[in-house]
Amino acid sequence: MRRMKILLAEDDVDDRFIFENFLGGRSDIELLPYAENGLEVLSFLDAVPSQDTLPDMIIMDHNMPKMSGRQALEQLKQTERYAHIPVFIYSTYADTQLIETCTASGATMVVTKPLNNKGYQDLLDSFLKVLQPESGHSKRG
Amino acid sequence: MEAQRPTYEDLLKKIEYLQYDLEEAKDTIEAIRTGQVDALIVENSNGHEIYTLKTADQTYRLFIEKMTEGAVTLNKEGFILYSNSQFALMMGLELSNVIGMDFNSFIGLKSRDHFRELFNAGWKEDRKGEVELNNEANTCIQLSLTTLALDEGEFLSVIITDLTRLKENERELAHQNRELEKTNIALEMSNNDLMQFASVASHDLQEPLRKIMVFMDLFSKTTSDDMSEQARGYLEKIQSSSERMKQLIIDILNYSRLSAKDNVYHEVDLSQLIHEVVQDYEVVIQEKNATIYYEGLPCIVVNKGQIRQVFQNIISNALKFSKPDVPVELTVSATHTNSLSFTAPEEKTGEYCKITIKDNGIGFDEKYVPNVFSLFERLNAKDKFEGSGIGMSIAKKIVEKHNGIITAYSNEGDGAEFVIILPVKQ
Repeated sequence: MRRMKILLAEDDVDDRFIFENFLGGRSDIELLPYAENGLEVLSFLDAVPSQDTLPDMIIMDHNMPKMSGRQALEQLKQTERYAHIPVFIYSTYADTQLIETCTASGATMVVTKPLNNKGYQDLLDSFLKVLQPESGHSKRG
Repeated sequence: MEAQRPTYEDLLKKIEYLQYDLEEAKDTIEAIRTGQVDALIVENSNGHEIYTLKTADQTYRLFIEKMTEGAVTLNKEGFILYSNSQFALMMGLELSNVIGMDFNSFIGLKSRDHFRELFNAGWKEDRKGEVELNNEANTCIQLSLTTLALDEGEFLSVIITDLTRLKENERELAHQNRELEKTNIALEMSNNDLMQFASVASHDLQEPLRKIMVFMDLFSKTTSDDMSEQARGYLEKIQSSSERMKQLIIDILNYSRLSAKDNVYHEVDLSQLIHEVVQDYEVVIQEKNATIYYEGLPCIVVNKGQIRQVFQNIISNALKFSKPDVPVELTVSATHTNSLSFTAPEEKTGEYCKITIKDNGIGFDEKYVPNVFSLFERLNAKDKFEGSGIGMSIAKKIVEKHNGIITAYSNEGDGAEFVIILPVKQ
């Protein structure tokens, strides 16, 4: 089964470590080099030569310098080449306003960052389930 | 000494006077006899005394005489046939100068049309209306008009209520309502501030707490095999405390709808204020080999604590976003202008103070100016520069509360300049 290519945009070094530590070992996903903010997401995608090698999903922190997750989301959804890529926004505190504005801008899901390993595994499972509701996934925690 | 004998002329005058008195007494007796009068008011050394015939309505007459309202009875022509002493008191007149007078003459000039209308209508149905008295204070009164059907025909009974205190109460109430409205606006503003604070707390306190919890999870996984019973107990304590703190933060958010009012404005010497801020940052200033120039700044009327916060945030930013290995230079200067505009020319006697804070730090791309002042926006990665990203939005909020404006100018790598314009007086 093909591994899902995930692009993570996260400016916080601890949060990047946590993400890779909990999810890096899973066999069903492949973590691409991370982006530090929204601008880096766009330049990363622009540098991908073929449509086939674009990420299968993008997970973005909301609160990032230079270009926030929400701003990057808007850019992506307005760009024909990237509009089909599912975007997940995760934030320390996802309030109603953030959920509403990001959902309106085309985010697949807007969630609060988990507090432990199980939270991260469940979160990724729920992301994958949204994308491929019919198939199950193996995982390693 | 022998009394002087009256002259013939004196005697004639006296006779004429007595005759007049006699006529009046005869008329009075006739009036009493025919039932037109059943009470007499006689002035003697004790003031006015009422002499009534012991009729059934004596109680009511006393009642009317003692009540705090004025009471008069008018005939068709509007002349006063009866008045209680309270109404005479309202007019500052003797009762004898009231009875028999045209009631209209006691009504203030401005109210006479209205009174005429009430008077005419009062004969058909009970009427009430507000008019002014024609006395020194132009006392505001309410008239209540009712017809009285007596044997002799119809009369109009008028009760006169002094509205002075009522009007005063109304004015006081209106004043209090205005004050209440002002307080409400102030409360709304402080409520908005609190909402922002709640938002700040929710983001910035939860972020490090979340990391504590995540790393605790990682820690317990990595050391689970060789952890002693005691260590495990401690870890559980840390975990439960973190959970509790998370709950507390959420609780504070829910509780954050109360605040003390903080609207005290004083004249403040900006040089002195910045001197205090510089002292607070003494250690960092030495560390960064920083020099801060702030001579000869003016005095302006501000909320000292809040404006101090503004300078704290800007100065600490300048110290934080400095170029490595370059001594920090920070200059605070001020001029006056005539309008609330960043481009207004200098005007020595202008009513606005333009304060410029310029540093030689790393600066930022000017297109990010709006981001600098909005809540939680950061131009630099969290791990490179510590801070919450709210300092400048607080500064903006405070400047706006002072009816001022704030902006920033910068180029990446070329220092930053913050400009604040505040009214000299609030």
